[in-house]
Amino acid sequence: MLQLIADGFVIGSVIALGAIGVTLVYSILRFANFAHGELLTWGAYLAWTALLGFAAVWGPMEPLGPFSFGWTLLASLGVAAIATAALALLVDLLLFRQLRRHGSAITLIMASFGAALVLRNLLQFIFGAVPEYYSREIQVAIRLVPRDVLGGLRVTPDQLFVLGLTAVSVVGLHLFLTRTTLGKAMRATSINPQLARVTGIDVDRVIRATWIIGAVLAAVAGVFSGLTVQLRPQLGLDLLLPLFAAAILGGIGSVYGAVAGGLIVGLAESLSVPIVGAEYRAATAFIVLIAILLIRPTGLFGERT
Amino acid sequence: MTALRVEALEAGYEPGLPIVRGASLSVEPNEIVAVLGPNGAGKSTLIKAIAGLVPISAGRVLLHDREITGRAAHRLPHEGLGFVPQTENVFVNLSIDDNLDLAASILKVPKKRRLGDLYALFPDLARQRRLLAGRLSGGQRQMLAVARALVGEPKVLMLDEPSAGLSPKLVGIVFEKLVEVRATGVTIVLVEQNVKAALAIADRAAVLVEGSTRVVGTARELANDPQVAALYLGHHRGDT
Repeated sequence: MLQLIADGFVIGSVIALGAIGVTLVYSILRFANFAHGELLTWGAYLAWTALLGFAAVWGPMEPLGPFSFGWTLLASLGVAAIATAALALLVDLLLFRQLRRHGSAITLIMASFGAALVLRNLLQFIFGAVPEYYSREIQVAIRLVPRDVLGGLRVTPDQLFVLGLTAVSVVGLHLFLTRTTLGKAMRATSINPQLARVTGIDVDRVIRATWIIGAVLAAVAGVFSGLTVQLRPQLGLDLLLPLFAAAILGGIGSVYGAVAGGLIVGLAESLSVPIVGAEYRAATAFIVLIAILLIRPTGLFGERT
Repeated sequence: MTALRVEALEAGYEPGLPIVRGASLSVEPNEIVAVLGPNGAGKSTLIKAIAGLVPISAGRVLLHDREITGRAAHRLPHEGLGFVPQTENVFVNLSIDDNLDLAASILKVPKKRRLGDLYALFPDLARQRRLLAGRLSGGQRQMLAVARALVGEPKVLMLDEPSAGLSPKLVGIVFEKLVEVRATGVTIVLVEQNVKAALAIADRAAVLVEGSTRVVGTARELANDPQVAALYLGHHRGDT
């Protein structure tokens, strides 16, 4: 039981970080971006590319303490975050920005499907379809709770790293949104873009910040997924529905809702495995989603306007 | 030096289909000027074009003799032009305090002093500063919208139909407040359907018909000119 909860939190962390991007883009740019999953994949693969680059210069990665990865993966994560943000800004410049001027929300949604296809196929063309790993080091799981207490609990240091960095990212984002002028401007733009403009907010700058934050968190989530599972071109596609389930469940537009939604979806998936089996665990997230929306149609943190 | 000058302005939402067609307006410092006219005359489009929200295809706009034609809407509050939209003019999910605090952060004005000044001018808002703007009554919401637009200490404040949706009593209260705002040295331009209320506080007024200014005069002249009323102002709420 404890083990399933811990596993759920690890899966939930990846989903939560990805769902924040989905919900931010929805609230500021007013469309559901189905290409967001691809930012996770690109983030994961860009980090892998940077890791190979570092390995070519400094030799193979030496594990850092109990972790399966070394400092070069952390540096690669930084490189991937910057490169993924640049990719998101490029897609916006070439595609979404053009459509925002004349198109409707549905045009943007359909365009995001197209962008997802292009990004996924381009990635597969460049990197191939064979799964990859950041590290092939074998990790010894740490026993935190003995087996006779609720089935016991063992976690790997990598899983603890994922949970810790997710918490740091969410707290950092919270401080950014509540304490900085740009963060407050993002909140205001999500409530009323036209009023934001006449209040003196540069909405184009807010949009750029939205893509950057969403993409950076997507890159982190992609690397976490690659670290705890493996790197595959379908990584983002497989996570897309859970990302949307989390964002909607939490109340689309709410960052805190996306985090809570991500953790709930992760827990629902993990806890359902002994009952329905691993094949059907994705379905349980949607049963939870439907149940919560029946009770609270705006989602957990959604605001009625 | 004029506070705001609009010269032969053409503006509209679609290229080649101007709604404002050759409108001109000159507002002196510390005046209250009302822009009146029948429905569909282009009053709101004119004020939105000045505020940078509607594309301008011809003409010029000058704020204190500095050209601001076609400047991005978000630049204008930094340059001394405040604007209160007709609807959705407060951030409903933020408290009164957060609405004003946000504008102060964006416009980089000293928060404590400026919010103190504004709460002194709007004591009703000061009493419930933690209340969500979405929970305010129509009159209070309009007061907050005006206060928000004043945070950056604008030289010129423009309002799009501040009386819309308010009871006659509340219209009186809001308009009295605008006179108090003018007393602090702010020039005011208001677009109004409620001719009687607008002319009661305005120094001068311009009548807009089919997108261009047809009559400009003092409020008294326009109020007493039956021909103007019959021709351009039509039946209006304030006279009933």
